[in-house]
Amino acid sequence: MQVESNHKKTGQLRGFPLHVLNTTLAAFQKEPSPAPQPAMGFFTDTSICIGCKACEVACKQWNQLPAIDPKWTGTSYDNTQQLSATTWRHVQFIEQVQRDVTLPPALYSLDLPLFGDQITEAKSNGVIPATPTGTALPFFTTDRWLMHSDVCKHCANAPCQEACPTGAIVRTEFDTVYVQQDICNGCGYCVVACPFGVVARDEQGDHQAHKCTLCYDRLKDDMVPACAKACPTESIQFGEVESLKARARQRVGDLQKRGVNTARLYGADKSILDGGLNSFFLLLDAPEVYNLPQNPLRPSTNVAPASIWTALAAMALGIAGIFFFKGK
Amino acid sequence: MKIDDKKFTIMRNMLVRASSHAPAFDTVAELLATLTTGYTLSPEQEERESRYFEYPLLKASLWRWEIVWYFFLGGLAAGCYVVASIASLFGSPEDTAVVRMGYYLSLLALLPCPPLLIKDLGRPERFLHMLRVFNRKSPMSQGVWGLLSFSLFCGLTGVSQASHDGLFGRWWGAKVLAALPRKALAIPGTLFALFLGGYTGILLAATSVPLWSRSKLMGAIFISSAISTSTALLSLVLHVTGASASTLRKLGKLEWTAMLLETASIIAFLRGSGRAARVLVGTASDEHGRTFWSFMFGGGLMLPWLLQTFLLFGKRAEKRTSIIGVLVSVLTLLGGYFLRHTMVEAGRSSSRNTRTTLWNARR
Repeated sequence: MQVESNHKKTGQLRGFPLHVLNTTLAAFQKEPSPAPQPAMGFFTDTSICIGCKACEVACKQWNQLPAIDPKWTGTSYDNTQQLSATTWRHVQFIEQVQRDVTLPPALYSLDLPLFGDQITEAKSNGVIPATPTGTALPFFTTDRWLMHSDVCKHCANAPCQEACPTGAIVRTEFDTVYVQQDICNGCGYCVVACPFGVVARDEQGDHQAHKCTLCYDRLKDDMVPACAKACPTESIQFGEVESLKARARQRVGDLQKRGVNTARLYGADKSILDGGLNSFFLLLDAPEVYNLPQNPLRPSTNVAPASIWTALAAMALGIAGIFFFKGK
Repeated sequence: MKIDDKKFTIMRNMLVRASSHAPAFDTVAELLATLTTGYTLSPEQEERESRYFEYPLLKASLWRWEIVWYFFLGGLAAGCYVVASIASLFGSPEDTAVVRMGYYLSLLALLPCPPLLIKDLGRPERFLHMLRVFNRKSPMSQGVWGLLSFSLFCGLTGVSQASHDGLFGRWWGAKVLAALPRKALAIPGTLFALFLGGYTGILLAATSVPLWSRSKLMGAIFISSAISTSTALLSLVLHVTGASASTLRKLGKLEWTAMLLETASIIAFLRGSGRAARVLVGTASDEHGRTFWSFMFGGGLMLPWLLQTFLLFGKRAEKRTSIIGVLVSVLTLLGGYFLRHTMVEAGRSSSRNTRTTLWNARR
């Protein structure tokens, strides 16, 4: 910080080479670690997402991210299409038409604890007509829209962080994964390491890697991340990872009890990437429907086997070389 | 899902149209693709798989020609150093031509590497940030330190060799450099060279790109190619500058062996990758099989290997040897370049392929 501010005063006089020197030296300074905090994360419950995109907008506003060029995809209401260097929340609109649902008829009328027995009574009298097919709650119809606000998963073992050669990607005291913008030199290795296609290099801007920071700046001031704050249905919930996970398990249990057999959690247990995700999801269908990989490999686990094969090949060629050059 | 059908029809039509231009070649390429990957293209089956429209799941790699040339030149630098060191430590006195030329070419091939790597960065002026940390889990971080260490040995050996050969005159500095123990430097240097030749493949394998990471053999392919291309380059230069027939024959044998190992590694790689390798060997749109089979596997590996077999074991006319020898070298070098080129390009296509990416994560 000191180096930065000194530079701002004198930078114009001293010119470009010194600027590079100053920022380079600053990058080598080591700051003391902040006191550890409980792990924080997101629980994104897609079963109550209404696709309002308030999270996308709130994220852009708080983080001062530029809008993307509007592009008519022609596929759905999802014209954002993907997470990018300047889009850290992305709402998907998954259209499912003529889905094969075979559910017991009882499930079409939910037993909601409202107005005592009056609803059941009204239904039997014909005051409330029977639910016409195709208009039941989205869980039980053959045609439905699934909405899903995608975001960085803040993996417990983050492939982007494991790949980063500059130490720009760190774990914060909140156990979130954060790209330090003053360190990143835009090598692009995290971009190919991420199994979710989250982190991206800003090719229209500063050519550095960007992704969701889990509003690190807001967390520092005991504030809720912008997307969770803006979500009107509490589809995006923010909190301590452990209590969020407990809440998510309860929610998925509730849904299943009510007949939503396909409800499941993604990333709440340790299975994905050998440790789970600090930002996890409740899904109503298979992960692949949401463009989420079922069980991605953690890229760093390839280093050992790939090294062994390389060493074997190198040894074979070395021995062959020695043999040929020793001979006639 | 209607859009997908349309997209698919367009794709199929493009495939059909492309095939009508070179039907025989594409048929052979497709046959080879099916044989090597063990995966039969099944559009109907793929169409049934869940996905979110055709929006890519992964972000495609940003690495372009700089990285292709770095992989190629880094391989040459590593290979030339290894061959020169083997010739220096185990060769006969007449193999000194290989030693000298090997150390020179190694240093020459290494010089453009750092600028290429720096140019490739999003923020080139921050390249020194690579030296802030050593991240043992990141092949790129290991590579930075490995490249730096190799540069030290490659530079010292090359400059010492040049001083020894009188290129820097007779002043005291040249004498000091010439007196450096090159054979002692060659041992750690060779280890770092082998690292440099292979780590690039490991770097690609430690990503989420299906083509690069499914099989773990990318490093083995790259190190074999480093040796085959560098022996090819050495033979080419020594054919021109002159070297004994026995030295050229030794180089030829090593090149032949390296190409054989490279072929075996590539076939095992394709088989191990299965469906993920289609993007490299298939002929549909956004697949790179045409370049791969013609310039890399066919023209850049099998053809020079067969010609080399003919040179080494056939009853040959002495006169033709040098012409064919030069041809073998040129073809092998082209093949080595196109190996890196198609792997990097097809890696990008692999990330764009939603269905294969999802398939790859189904374990």
